[in-house]
Amino acid sequence: MTTVNSKPGAPSASFNGKRVVSWISGLPPAYYVLSILIAVAPAVSATLINPNYWFVILKQSAPLGIAVLAQSLVMRVRSIDLSVSGVFAFAIYLASSGLLNSYPPLLTVAMPIIVGLLVGIINGVLVAYVRASAVISTLSVSAMLIGIIQYMSAGRAPGSTPTWLRVLTNGNVYGLSYSVIIWVATSVLVAIAFRFLIIGRYFRAVGDNPRAAETTGIPLARTIFVSHVTAGFLTGIAALVQISALAVGTIKPGFDTFMNALAATILGGVTFGVDRGGVAGPFVAVVAFSFLFAMLTVFGIQEPGKLIAQGLIIALAAIIYGARAGRI
Amino acid sequence: MITVASYLRVPYRAGAIRLSIGTLLLMVVASIIFLPGFLAGENLSNLLAQSTTLVISALGQTFVILTGGLDVSVGSIISMTTAIMTLDMPAFMRILLCIAVATAFGLVNGYGVARLNVHPIIMTLATMGIGQGLALIILPIPGGRVPDWLSTSVAGSIGPVPNTLVWLIVASLVAAWILYRRPFGLYLFAAGGNEFNARMNGVPVERTIINAYVLSALFACAAGMFLTGRLASGDPKGGATFGIESVTAVALGGVHLAGGIGSVFGTVVGAAILGLINNVMNLANVSAFLQSVAKGGLLLVLVVSQRRKTIGL
Repeated sequence: MTTVNSKPGAPSASFNGKRVVSWISGLPPAYYVLSILIAVAPAVSATLINPNYWFVILKQSAPLGIAVLAQSLVMRVRSIDLSVSGVFAFAIYLASSGLLNSYPPLLTVAMPIIVGLLVGIINGVLVAYVRASAVISTLSVSAMLIGIIQYMSAGRAPGSTPTWLRVLTNGNVYGLSYSVIIWVATSVLVAIAFRFLIIGRYFRAVGDNPRAAETTGIPLARTIFVSHVTAGFLTGIAALVQISALAVGTIKPGFDTFMNALAATILGGVTFGVDRGGVAGPFVAVVAFSFLFAMLTVFGIQEPGKLIAQGLIIALAAIIYGARAGRI
Repeated sequence: MITVASYLRVPYRAGAIRLSIGTLLLMVVASIIFLPGFLAGENLSNLLAQSTTLVISALGQTFVILTGGLDVSVGSIISMTTAIMTLDMPAFMRILLCIAVATAFGLVNGYGVARLNVHPIIMTLATMGIGQGLALIILPIPGGRVPDWLSTSVAGSIGPVPNTLVWLIVASLVAAWILYRRPFGLYLFAAGGNEFNARMNGVPVERTIINAYVLSALFACAAGMFLTGRLASGDPKGGATFGIESVTAVALGGVHLAGGIGSVFGTVVGAAILGLINNVMNLANVSAFLQSVAKGGLLLVLVVSQRRKTIGL
C-alpha cells in the first residue's frame, strides 16, 4: 500500500530534519558564540541577563556595528577597507575641536558623513580603477588622515563634543537608543538593497568569481567602486554615532577599530567573496563581541586575556566554518 | 653558491622594482645634497639600526606574500620574542623558547591557511591577538634584563663593519639562498603564481605554504632578537607596528600582494625606503605627525604607480 508520504519526491520528516540540521550548521560562527554566551550568562552574573543591560550593550555597539556593516560590503567583493580608524579620528577631531562652532549645526552632523564619503570615493578610485592594493592604499589613506589631525592638534586631545549631538546616543524610544535605531535602520536598508536591487546581485557575482562576473558583462570596477563609496558613507555615519557617544573628543579613536570591525565581519560569516551571514550575521557578531567583552570584564580579565580570547574565538570560528564551508 | 650578481638580479618575477630603486636613489641623492648631516657616521649607523628590524621581518613576510598570503602576526611574534628574551632563565633556553614559539605560531598559521582553508588575513589576525596577549602576560610593562652578549652582538662591530650590517647581510643572504638556491624557492613562486598549475606539476603546495609561514615567523623571531639587543630591554608592544610595516615594505619593493612576483632585493629596497623616510624627516626636523602624512602619501604614490592586473587585496 502506498501512502502520500512515501511518494517519490515528497518531503519526509527525516528530510526536513536534515534540512534544519544543515541550515543550523550553515549559520555563521557569530550565532554559536552568542548562543553559548547567553547560555552561560545567568551563571556568571544576574546583570548580564537584565534587559536594560542589553540595551546598554546595544547602545555601546552601535558605532562598531555600522562600521562592520560597511566593512562587510567591501569584503563581499573581495576587497578591504582599513581606513575606518582614520575616518573616525578625523571626524571626531573636527567635531570636538571647535572648528565648526561658527557654522550651522547641520554641518557638524553632515561633516562625518562627508568625510566618510570622500574617503570612500578615494578608496574606490584607487582600488577599482587604479587597481592599487586595497590593503596598502586604504591603510595609507588612514595613516594620512591620522597624521593630519595629529599635526593639527599638536598631539593634544581636543575639546568636548557638541552636547546637543549626544541626543543620538542618549535619546531613546522605549529604552532603545536612537543610535541603535540608526544601526538597525541602516542594516535593514542594506538588506533590502541586497534583496531587491540589481547591485546586490552584482555584489554576489563579483564576490563569487570576479573574472566570471566581468566576462558575463557585470561592471566589475564600478561594482567595487560602489562598494567602497557605500562603505565610506556608512563609516561616516558610524563616526557620527561615535561622536555622539563621546563626551570628550580624542585623537586616538583606537587602532583596534578596524581590527574589531574585521573580526566581527568574519564572525558574521562575511569574508573575501564569501557571504553566508547576510546583514544579520555581522549584526549578531557585533552583539556577540560586545557581550563577550562585557563578560570578560565581569571575570576581571584584563587586556592580555581579552586579546587572547578574541584571537582564539576568531581562529576557532574561522577554522570550523572554513573546514565546513570552503575557504573563508 | 650565491654571487653578488645572482643576489642583485632583476628578472620579471622580481616585480616592478625599478621604480623602487629609482625612488631610493633619488631620496639618497636628495638627502646628500640637502641634508648636511646625512652622511655622518652616527646618522648612517642610526639609519642602519632603525631599518634592520624592518628588513629582517619584511624578508620573512616576502615568503608568505610570494604564496599570495599575508602575515599580520609578525608584529606579535617580535613582541613575544622581546618579552621572552627578558625571562629569568639561561640564554640558550630563551633562544630555544623563542624559536619554538615562533615555529608553533608559523605552523598554526600555515596549517590554518593551507589545510583548513582559512583566509591568511583572518588566520594571522587571530594569532596576532593571541601573540600580543601572551607577550603582555610574559612582560606586562617594558623593561627587563637582556643578556649582554645580545646587546653586544647588535651594538658592536667586526673591524670597520658594524654588527648591524652583519645581521642585515646574513638575513638577506639566508633569504636569497632559500629563494634562489632551494627547490622550495621555486615552489613559492609556482604556488603563488598559479596554484592549480603548480599542483598539476607536482609542487607540494600545502607544504610550501606551511613552510612559508614558519619561515616568516622565524625571521620575525630573528627581528625580535635584534630589536631586543638594540633596545637592551624588552617591550611587549615593541613589534606592534611591524606587522603592517613589513607588508608595506614588501609592497614598496615591488612584491605583488597577489603572489608569485617578488625578490629579496626588492624587499630590502622597500624596507630601506621606509627607513630612509623616517631618517630623512627626523634630520629635516619634520614634525613626527607630518611624517605619518608624508609616509602615507609616498606609499600611496608608489603603490598607485604599480598598477596590478587584478582588483582587490
